Amino acid sequence: MDSHNFLTQRQGQADETRLYLIEDDPLILHFVSQTLLQRPSWRLLGHSASLAHACEHALASSANVFLVDLCLPDGRGEEVLALLSRKKPEAELLVFTVFGEESRLVGALAAGATGYVLKGCTAEQLVLAIEQIREGGAPISPLLARMLLKQFRTVPEAPSALKANAVSLSDRESEVLKLLARGYVNKEIASKLAIGPSTVSTHVKNLYRKLAAHTRVQAVMIAQEHGLL
Amino acid sequence: MTPPRWLTNVVLGIPPYGWAVVWLSLMLLGLAMVTRVSNVPGTQAVTQAQVMLAGQAWNTAETVQLPHVWDHAKRQWDAEAHYLLALPEAFKDRARADGQELGLLLPRVGVRFRVMFNGVEVAAQAWDRGAGYTDAGIHAHFIVLRPSMMAPEWADNRLEIQLKGQALRISGLSPVWVGPRGALWQRYQWLNWWQVNLTWMVAASAFMLGLLSLLIWTKSAERLFGLLAGSLLVLAVRLWLSTPVFLPGPFLAWDYLHKLSFTLYCGFTYLFMSELFHFSQSFVRKLVVLMMRLGPFWLGMLAWTQNYQLYRLWTGVIVVVCVLSLLMVIHRARWGMDVQQRLMVVVGLATMVTGLRDFLVVQMGFPGDVDIRWMTPGSLVMMFAMGSVLLQRTALSMENVGRQNAELARQVGERERDMHAVFERLRRVENQRVLEAERRRLTRDMHDGLGSQLVQTLNLVRSSGTNMDSAQVAAMLNHALEELRMTLDSLEPMEGDLPTILGTLRQRIGPALQAAQIDLDWQVEEVPTVPSLEARGVIHLFRCLQEVFANVVKHAHASRVTVRTWSADGRVHLAVTDNGIGLGGSPDLAFSSGGRGTSNIRLRAVEMDAEVVFSAAWPGTCVAFSFAASTAPCPAVLASTTRSDSLHGLNRAS
Repeated sequence: MDSHNFLTQRQGQADETRLYLIEDDPLILHFVSQTLLQRPSWRLLGHSASLAHACEHALASSANVFLVDLCLPDGRGEEVLALLSRKKPEAELLVFTVFGEESRLVGALAAGATGYVLKGCTAEQLVLAIEQIREGGAPISPLLARMLLKQFRTVPEAPSALKANAVSLSDRESEVLKLLARGYVNKEIASKLAIGPSTVSTHVKNLYRKLAAHTRVQAVMIAQEHGLL
Repeated sequence: MTPPRWLTNVVLGIPPYGWAVVWLSLMLLGLAMVTRVSNVPGTQAVTQAQVMLAGQAWNTAETVQLPHVWDHAKRQWDAEAHYLLALPEAFKDRARADGQELGLLLPRVGVRFRVMFNGVEVAAQAWDRGAGYTDAGIHAHFIVLRPSMMAPEWADNRLEIQLKGQALRISGLSPVWVGPRGALWQRYQWLNWWQVNLTWMVAASAFMLGLLSLLIWTKSAERLFGLLAGSLLVLAVRLWLSTPVFLPGPFLAWDYLHKLSFTLYCGFTYLFMSELFHFSQSFVRKLVVLMMRLGPFWLGMLAWTQNYQLYRLWTGVIVVVCVLSLLMVIHRARWGMDVQQRLMVVVGLATMVTGLRDFLVVQMGFPGDVDIRWMTPGSLVMMFAMGSVLLQRTALSMENVGRQNAELARQVGERERDMHAVFERLRRVENQRVLEAERRRLTRDMHDGLGSQLVQTLNLVRSSGTNMDSAQVAAMLNHALEELRMTLDSLEPMEGDLPTILGTLRQRIGPALQAAQIDLDWQVEEVPTVPSLEARGVIHLFRCLQEVFANVVKHAHASRVTVRTWSADGRVHLAVTDNGIGLGGSPDLAFSSGGRGTSNIRLRAVEMDAEVVFSAAWPGTCVAFSFAASTAPCPAVLASTTRSDSLHGLNRAS
């Protein structure tokens, strides 16, 4: 294999969408499998129906998109998310949820999730969500945007030791979040702020990552303060 | 070495009044020892003198025995009395010898006096009748007779003691002591200690104890301490006026205070004893109170008239009251007394013994030192006994307060525990009530929304048989899922933030509008929070807007719908405006007069404390809601970009 072919193959592998499903409901597994028929180039590399199995096999897989259910029979999906975000920082972590409970979603995002998909969506909507997140976007509801704003707002009230390492929002991110919280969609926000819709999506995704970073920094600082590290 | 057990038991078994008997007996014995004789070795007392009024000739003088009260028969306040005394022959040789000076000791004398020896004034005190108060008669005086002052012949020596009368004070002369200077000087020091220093000590002690009692009385409001404070403070005043001090002002004014303080001292002391012995509403008690009230006027009248008989009468009243008090104590003793009462009886009897001794020795000529009075140390003991009672009462009061505080703390603790239990029960009941209300709300909402949708879907599946339209079933199930999601959305903590509530609703209704090809013009701006939009209010608003949008999609034939928020005049406004056919444009329009949709919206608006107005938007329909805004500032997470549009803005947007 010459070097050109090798690079092309590596490039192709990087662009390739490789999925891993962590879900105990066989109907969802069936639904995802059927959905992938619409995208022959996408591959479902594996499936875990429990937390223990996911911690062992999902980490070993080379998937770049993980679909994670938060309610697993032997534990919480947030644990898998935290593990994957630490071991595979380049992977996209999509939460599979029935109702989009924002209160719990904030915890999942803090654990490292980069987006979420509602169960009950159509195959086309699932494909769209995966494509969107692969292109750098992330879904967000008004209530979730409001919660994220609140989450970041607590940073200035944190102890001084945290402030130095605390993550804060840029002005643009803050504007995007405020408009999202009022119910504006990406296209309308882009129009109001004179930026592209994809930029809005990127801002949201950055917010997710900042949220995870923010909470991790806090966790480390608190642990150090208590002499645990 | 430890004392025997029986001795320890005996000592510990003696009550306080028993110890008082022991110590007071020792005190009286000691007093008797040190005052058993008044003679000073080597000296002689001059007990005879010639007395005459000033201005009269000496041949009219009368020979009297000392002690002598010269104005005993008739009060001559402005007169002078001259006593002529003869020096004892025994000192004839000694007086002429070098370094053997004679001394003269006057243990008691009148208020104003002077001593003339061979025509030369050798001593004087308060002789001039200037303004001021002083009493030379309350302490002894020592005078030196130098050899150079002696007459050539011993019989020619003329010792004259002159007295001036003082209103309301008795003047006279006690035996005068003549002898070697050294021996009389020691005697003078001894008398001075008893008559002056001891009086100052007693006065200072009375003042300090009086102040202490006064302080405790102001804090505890216990009557006993107030009476003790009154008794001791007036005693301090009386003793202060009984020391050799010079006070400016009219003599009679200070003398009035001196006499009044004695009256009040007796009164307060009796009332203290009365309180201590629980003599409630007795005759003597009333008599004492009357005496204390009458005293200032009576003594004022005495000072005004200068009639000494009034004072004698008043002294008699005080004596009667004191005797009656003593009888009351004896009478009370028949019913038994507590430790404090017994102690006071013992000390009181000892004090009376000191007074009796003074009377017998001074007035009746019983053996003893007439110049030393036992009453002064007796008063001191009485005062300390009263202080001891005070201390015990204070300690007892503090113990009682401590016990009551502990009991109070226990009761408060019990009450607090009961209250906590009640609060906990109330909290559980309140939680149950809230849970029940929320359960009913969710049940009703699911019955109206999700249940209805599922029933319709079920009926469709059953009626379709094998020709089931899966797309239609999927659409209906999707609708049911959206209903469920909307109910769950209402449970999220939106904290009355209207833009967030609308944004959440937009997620649910957006696809339906898109499918109906109706453009959504979203003009939602930041507004103050709406307190009525808690979980129940949110679901009511969801249902109202669901009804409005369903009307737009199904009946209005609109191509555009605008959602707008603003705040004005302390209220938050929400308007949904379409560009459809408007009110009355369609016979089946739900918003037409009397439509079920309208009444549902109105009912729900009342539930969420909002006003709702349906109006024509020319073209189309406008449904406007108005909510009372919170007085709190806008949600901090959102920028404050409130607008000051009024309802006119609604028409402009339409």
